[in-house]
Amino acid sequence: MYQVSCVILIILCHTEALNPELCQAKPREKHCLIEWMARHRWPHTIRVFKRFREVNPELVPKRMTENQAHTIAVPVEEIEKLPELKENPFKRRICQVFSHDGSGNLTFEDFLDMMSVFSEAAPRDIKAWYAFRIYDLDDDMYIGREDLLEATRLLTKGELHPQERDDIVASVLDEADVDGDGRLSFMDFEHVVVRAPDFLSTFHIRV
Amino acid sequence: MDDIDIDPNGEAGVGVRRSLTQSSNTARQLAVSFMPSRQLPYSTMRQRRCNSERNALLEEYSDATDSADRQADIIVRDMELDDRLMKNSPVSEERRREALRELPRGLTIKRHVRAKLSASVSLRSKRPISFWKRLKYRTSFAIKKLRDRLLNLVFSVELWYRSIRTIEGHFGSAVGTYFYFLRALFIMNVFLMLMVVAFVVIPQSLHDGHTNTTSAVREEGRFLDFISGKGMLEHSLLFYGHYHSGEIAAGGPLSYDMSFAYFFTMLSVCMVIFIILCYRTADSYRRNFIGAGGGARLVFASKVFCGWDCGVVSARAAASHAAGLYLEFKELLNEQDKNQVLMSSCGKLCRYLINAAVTTAVLAVILGLQYGLWKLLELESHAAHWELAVSITVALMVSLCPLVFDSVVRMEYYNPRTALYVTLGRTWLLDMSTLVLLFYFWANSAKHCWETRFGQEMYRLVLLDAFISLFVLPAIEFGRAFIYNLNYKTSPPEFNIAYNSLTLIYNQAVVWFGVMFSPLLVAAVAVKLLLLFYVKKECTMRACQPARKVWRAAQTQTVLYMLVTLSLFVTLFAVGSIFMRMSSQQCGPLQQYSRVVQVVTEGLLHLHQHPYASAALGFVTRPGVIGFLLTFLSVFVYYTRARAVAQASMVDILQRMVSLQAKDKEFLLGAITKVSNGEWLYSPKEDDEGPDSHTWKYLREVRKPSNSGFHFDASRLSHSFVDRPQSYVKENRSNSYYAERSKSQDDGDTDSSFSWKDSSNCLNRKGDENDHNLSQV
Repeated sequence: MYQVSCVILIILCHTEALNPELCQAKPREKHCLIEWMARHRWPHTIRVFKRFREVNPELVPKRMTENQAHTIAVPVEEIEKLPELKENPFKRRICQVFSHDGSGNLTFEDFLDMMSVFSEAAPRDIKAWYAFRIYDLDDDMYIGREDLLEATRLLTKGELHPQERDDIVASVLDEADVDGDGRLSFMDFEHVVVRAPDFLSTFHIRV
Repeated sequence: MDDIDIDPNGEAGVGVRRSLTQSSNTARQLAVSFMPSRQLPYSTMRQRRCNSERNALLEEYSDATDSADRQADIIVRDMELDDRLMKNSPVSEERRREALRELPRGLTIKRHVRAKLSASVSLRSKRPISFWKRLKYRTSFAIKKLRDRLLNLVFSVELWYRSIRTIEGHFGSAVGTYFYFLRALFIMNVFLMLMVVAFVVIPQSLHDGHTNTTSAVREEGRFLDFISGKGMLEHSLLFYGHYHSGEIAAGGPLSYDMSFAYFFTMLSVCMVIFIILCYRTADSYRRNFIGAGGGARLVFASKVFCGWDCGVVSARAAASHAAGLYLEFKELLNEQDKNQVLMSSCGKLCRYLINAAVTTAVLAVILGLQYGLWKLLELESHAAHWELAVSITVALMVSLCPLVFDSVVRMEYYNPRTALYVTLGRTWLLDMSTLVLLFYFWANSAKHCWETRFGQEMYRLVLLDAFISLFVLPAIEFGRAFIYNLNYKTSPPEFNIAYNSLTLIYNQAVVWFGVMFSPLLVAAVAVKLLLLFYVKKECTMRACQPARKVWRAAQTQTVLYMLVTLSLFVTLFAVGSIFMRMSSQQCGPLQQYSRVVQVVTEGLLHLHQHPYASAALGFVTRPGVIGFLLTFLSVFVYYTRARAVAQASMVDILQRMVSLQAKDKEFLLGAITKVSNGEWLYSPKEDDEGPDSHTWKYLREVRKPSNSGFHFDASRLSHSFVDRPQSYVKENRSNSYYAERSKSQDDGDTDSSFSWKDSSNCLNRKGDENDHNLSQV
């Protein structure tokens, strides 16, 4: 039942996509956001919008114009309360990576970005790139020792002994650091991720 | 960069140091990204990623305010360099779309890039396009859009999407894979059912309607008859014996031969499904096993980076997941410690022997069970319920043995993953051997209409399995949950993925065997799977707890698909071998052929009219030829395996080379930095060891901060310097042979021929002198 209504909504939305009010775009170039997403083969835009609106219904209007899609920003504390992100240990960092200004407050476009990267249809390379940026907690384009220590602490919710964490980090660097500089660059990280068969299934949020 | 003195503990110090490190990192990475190896267009994806890395670095230099526009400019400038993207044709348009899609940037920037690109493209197209070409482009665009919209539609209507997603959120993605497997089997069975019903059942029922056949014996349906498939059901559409052999008398101009329809429908549908399954298994294997193997094992790294399942939604599951990860980390650390303790070869031998012994014992048990079953079958009294008793025995055996094997495998010395595969393999072997045994028994018994009897056997098995799965197992689960709620010390019921998946595979194997002899069985199984989904879902959500152990779902799913494919293969093999030799003349749609295989040879190909073709076919199917082909295939498989092993070792070598090259690169970059800062790199001598190397001593004592490169302070040369170097740049340039030669000639401060006082700033003269000196030796 829900799928049928979803389909109808998508069809309606496609017809509405030509509606100049919603688009606020020049008819020749067809800048409409939803049509662009639909063209890029991602059918869950409606679902994503509903999710986004659920976070803060006062702030987000029922029908969003294109301008509002990248100006209205929902604060990070409320985004973190979404059930998909609530239990994720890296939720703060995820919000920071995908926000336009690095603070964690997401506009609808940022949110759509996030959901599209975490969806099934995203190519592996894109996921690897964003995963790298998420694990790079201090944002220096390298996953260093401190990043890894913090990541292991977050993963086990603080259960591991500091000595054990040191051992784990040493092993990770031992295995993955190809060029031996004591930290992982994007190439090293991608090397790990490409060989792990579970990456695509774990780095996946369903809306 | 290293000798800037900052207080490392101060706040500002940290910030300054981080920004300095960052900018030096960025500068270095920017330099690296311009290296020739990164410029090669051997892969557009790689090229785009390099560009995106460069753009990401350039991003740091730009402001946050109007950066979107500027970044879009940078990206568009990069893309404009690629000629293939800039043409005004549908191919380029598609390439542009792909490029946009793979760009790891936000939506705002993507929109800007798209606008700029299309503006740039329209600027570049010089000639106006003719009317026909425009029409062609427009139709191809329209078709593409239509196809995309259809795909959208298909993707948005997913069966049971929300239910499986809820389960995944609560229990993790491993349990989710069981439900996805169930869904895949359900869809496959529905497809099978539609084909069979459309081509076989419906024509037969039309024929029945026309000829008004009523079964000779009309008994009232008794419950026992319903279970055992006898009585009224025996002569119904359910079983093989009822189907007409010959033309369907349903009126209409076209003739529809039932025997052809029956045989070829079954054959073609099974072939199609077999090919699809093979393809899926191979694809899954390639993705999950081959991609992960070869080279060093990345246990810790993949656990840290791919460990957290982002689909977990409920708090309880998240806590359990974190606890599971903690246990896994501890296990890995323990294993690492253990690995460092070398196991004696005696211990290893002992373990191998124990494993081999237990495996032999299990195989013996399986054989014993089969023998017992055979004896039971031969013991056919004409008791009314003998057949039912046989079916019940088989069903019990199949349900209980996996649990026995599970406990047996714990006595052996396998690591947990291998133990799982071993259990799966053994249980599968038991199931398949049971089914094949039943099939051969019925085929070789000289009973009247053995196909219908075998179909009835399969029907009974499906019914009993449905009863167990839909009623008995949920009752046990709820019972255990109840006990757990009363007393928290007992172990909570967890969703046993292995056991449930094995049940599904067994079920599917029964369907494969049964579909040939009981066409409507597929419909029954499809309904059963539908019910099973909902029952399992309720049972899992209400009774089970999230598992403590974190499962590797992807690899297990490959194994499950492989087992399903193998079951189909064994079925086809068994049925094919029987049908090749035997006839089926007592009942059913293939009565008119003396051997079943003659449906193809006589009915379709009319081989008796072509003696040469029939002789050729006879030759090709001789055992010698087949044996030769099989030998050739095995040699080929061995060859490919040898090649794969060789390539894996090559990968290892290349990986080591890569790491050495990376070290070289780092060294060179560091040297360049130092040289550009005016410090000379001193080539290390052999007899000087220790961390306090020449370079360091030199920097500390000889090089004063105010010195530029050419002025040395000889008075500060310490005695550990055996050499009196004229210019360290020289030794940087020359190889060690010359350095050694020049070192051996130096005599100390009083050596006038190399008085460094003369060597003001002219390197060339130094070179001449040195060479001149060497030539004198």
